[in-house]
Amino acid sequence: MDSAMSRQQPASRSFQHAVGWISEVSGWLAAAMIMIAVLLTCQMIFVRYVLNASTAWQTEVVIYIMIGGTLVGLAFVQKHRGHVNVDLLPLWLGPKAARALAIVTQSAAVLVIAVCLFHGFEFWHLAQSRGWTSDTVTAVPLWIPYLALPVGFGLMLLQLVADLLDTLQGHSGTGGA
Amino acid sequence: MDPLLLGSLVGVATILVLFSGISVAIGLLLVSAGFLIAFDGMRSLELVPEVLFGKLDSFALLSIPMFIIMGASIASTRAGADLYEALERWLTRVPGGLVISNLGACALFAAMPGSSPATCAAIGKMGIPEMRKRGYPEGIATGSIAAGGTLGILIPPSITMIVYGIATETSIGRLFLAGVVPGLLLVGLFMAWSIYSTWASGERAAMPRISYSWRERFELMPRVLPFLAIIVGVLYAMYGGIATPSETAAVGALLCLVVAMIIYKLLQPSALWAVLRDSTKESVMILFIIAAAGVFSYMLSSLFITQSIAAWISELEVNRWVLMAAVNLFLIVAGFFLPPVAVILMAAPILLPVVTGAGFDPIWFAVVLTINMEIGLISPPVGLNLYVINGIAPDISLRTILLGSLPFVACMLIAIVLLCLLPGLATWLPDLVMGPAL
Repeated sequence: MDSAMSRQQPASRSFQHAVGWISEVSGWLAAAMIMIAVLLTCQMIFVRYVLNASTAWQTEVVIYIMIGGTLVGLAFVQKHRGHVNVDLLPLWLGPKAARALAIVTQSAAVLVIAVCLFHGFEFWHLAQSRGWTSDTVTAVPLWIPYLALPVGFGLMLLQLVADLLDTLQGHSGTGGA
Repeated sequence: MDPLLLGSLVGVATILVLFSGISVAIGLLLVSAGFLIAFDGMRSLELVPEVLFGKLDSFALLSIPMFIIMGASIASTRAGADLYEALERWLTRVPGGLVISNLGACALFAAMPGSSPATCAAIGKMGIPEMRKRGYPEGIATGSIAAGGTLGILIPPSITMIVYGIATETSIGRLFLAGVVPGLLLVGLFMAWSIYSTWASGERAAMPRISYSWRERFELMPRVLPFLAIIVGVLYAMYGGIATPSETAAVGALLCLVVAMIIYKLLQPSALWAVLRDSTKESVMILFIIAAAGVFSYMLSSLFITQSIAAWISELEVNRWVLMAAVNLFLIVAGFFLPPVAVILMAAPILLPVVTGAGFDPIWFAVVLTINMEIGLISPPVGLNLYVINGIAPDISLRTILLGSLPFVACMLIAIVLLCLLPGLATWLPDLVMGPAL
């Protein structure tokens, strides 16, 4: 089966490779954002306790950066099978049934994340077109943090579609959704 | 439809979906979306991104990635092995000293913000081969590490406790302190059992005693102390009211990374990236489950399921201890199948009003719940720690590991009973340090 597959592999898997690469980059971005959140929090503590000055914007911005890191990192974690799952049924079923189940669960995952992407985009669009701002002194324009919703779910959707294609083409056996 | 019937329907659907191998977070979103569409129509989904974002919009949550970075930087070093060796050199003359050292090292390592499987891996890699070499029974060698590893979610700082604190709006500081005495109690029970069963197995005669010089006893200390000092510093700053858990954890995360780089020479970019990558993976995974569980509980309450279950249980008027026994049974069974974070996020918001309504303390309940989760970690079918141990010692059968872990499960059940008899075990220390709870 491997030799039969390998002839068409370069063409058929180029989408998955491209998506995998994008997911890796999003992983770097997510890690960077989480590190920035660490450093910014430390900066805030330094300003408050060492310089005895007040901090206004940091708390809010740190939270948004953390949320951004989480949503942008979804695809990366998905690529590395880091989203914890319980594979009792697939283990209990035979390999054929498990593969069929994997196709069902992965399709369901694609559907759910597509719904999140659609409504996430609408929510972001609403915030942007109506000029929503957070009700703090900083008044952050909310379309900036909300952008993480469509971007994060969009990247996640790409990775899930790539995983589904892999399962359909028989590349990854029963990779979890 | 009757909300209770609907609730059971949601329960069955959730179990089926989660067992299918779909990731927990997406599974929760799937079930939530399905029921929202069926009972509130398509338009109800519009709110999902807002609920999801809102659930993550909290400064307290920031402590999760911070504590994970602390744990990952410590785990990337030899700190676990050093800790184990240092203890072993001190305790070599105590009967069953090696297994005591292992459990002690697990407990100390648990006091660093490691996850349970990470504690198992860090101590077990050194401890299990050493114990086997010196003739300890295989069941004890593996069972003690599997059980010792579970202390990671009870002894502070614990990510599981943070998640409970956020899910139930309880003080994270109090929760951390509440885990200390029960954690020590468990270590004591584990040690007692290990000494007894090693003695009973009759293999002690074959065990050679190695003696160490005072120099050897002291030389490892400086390498272990910096991490312990950071953790103590973080906890001190938290309880001194100097800063919030998230703030102190951020400083702790930075310090742990720096110590790992300087003392443990974690300088290659690839090694540093590995720490950041692992922490990113774990925090994203946990935060996504938190967000998805937020959508799940939004669905439960918008379909009036949460409220109806609470009302139904309070109308039953069962004895409060019967209720607690039922809750424990539910938690143990849930813990058999689901990761602790998922159980806490799904169950705590529903159970807490019921439990507090019956007059139980929410902080005390957190400890009981956590010990239940510890049992799940060393029980089939998804006991993570069993598989970690199996990975470290592949030639010991899973059956032996499982049988070796069973007595430790019994120790945990004893601890739960003791906690029920003496709730002060959990609440005394937080009340002492932070003043009586309101």
